Amino acid sequence: MVVDPAGAVNREQVKQILERNQAKMKYYLSHCAHCALCAESCFLYQAHDRDPQYMPAYKVIHSVGELYRKKDKVDRALLLRIKRIVWKNCALCQRCYCPMGVSVPSMIAFARMVCRSQGVYPQGDAEGEPESWL
Amino acid sequence: MIIAERKPLPEIVDKVKRYRKILNIGCGGCVSICLAGGQKEALELNVELAEAFGLQDVPIQLDTLTIERQCNPNFFEPLDQVAREYECLLTMACGAGVQFVAERYQEIPVFPAVNTVFVGVDRDLGWYEENCRTCGECMLGETGGVCPVTRCSKSLFNGPCGGTRFDGACEVATDIPCAWFEIHRRLKLQGRLEEITKIRPARDWENQTVRHLIQPSCQKRYLK
Repeated sequence: MVVDPAGAVNREQVKQILERNQAKMKYYLSHCAHCALCAESCFLYQAHDRDPQYMPAYKVIHSVGELYRKKDKVDRALLLRIKRIVWKNCALCQRCYCPMGVSVPSMIAFARMVCRSQGVYPQGDAEGEPESWL
Repeated sequence: MIIAERKPLPEIVDKVKRYRKILNIGCGGCVSICLAGGQKEALELNVELAEAFGLQDVPIQLDTLTIERQCNPNFFEPLDQVAREYECLLTMACGAGVQFVAERYQEIPVFPAVNTVFVGVDRDLGWYEENCRTCGECMLGETGGVCPVTRCSKSLFNGPCGGTRFDGACEVATDIPCAWFEIHRRLKLQGRLEEITKIRPARDWENQTVRHLIQPSCQKRYLK
């Protein structure tokens, strides 16, 4: 599968991926109690002066949550916004702790998979940000 | 970070030429960062493979899938859904990732598409330098932050050997800096040159066997 990174989003393909994982992802999204305990276990959140954009809950709500809200209207601008959240703001270290059992890493990995399916992923210096995305 | 480099195309073609359904698996970890085996490189390899097989008029199904880590079971779900549809798997991960994939899908032949070359640092974009042999007995605290195991041509624990050239190069080759020359310079700079006279016992070559590590904070979880 070769995808044109600048091309249009294959909305049908995105919809299929979202539907295939809908049960688990919506379960996770609906079980977030917004308790912010996950934030305390995120080293990036701590390292960025407790910037709310680094809270694991923020990251999944504004990536996976947005994808399901838009579902068949996902566009490239949204994927590019999500790319920044799920790559630049998350190292996928899997340290985030959720008392409700929400698997934040699997949600971030899922958001990355959706982005990858449309050719949206970090590509070295192509974005003028060499290696700064991890 | 683990550094890898793509294997030559003929070697990869030779390994997979008998199969007609091939999945090339990119890895989103270290090999993505060192520009050897991420999604972009997996797509590029598939284009090259398609061309190579096309030249031989061989009909072939060649797909690619990138998962975030091939060294962690938590990221295998997308691969689990499709892996068994293929006759062989080609992986762009480091040696650890390749073995993890091979262990998970034992009935399917798994081939590496990259050579794992070292643990190193980024000198610049696409330029990496080996700095650690993961020997398991770090002595950087005594050597001014210069690893003699990695950077001395003879991996001498106790040096220098006497083969240092006047310009600080190693006797082995003029383009190899002498690690112990640099260790001496740094220790002198830091006012602790006496450290160089310490005799270090011969190291235990424990990295000749498979190593496991459980951090003290996790021991309750795994050790009964």
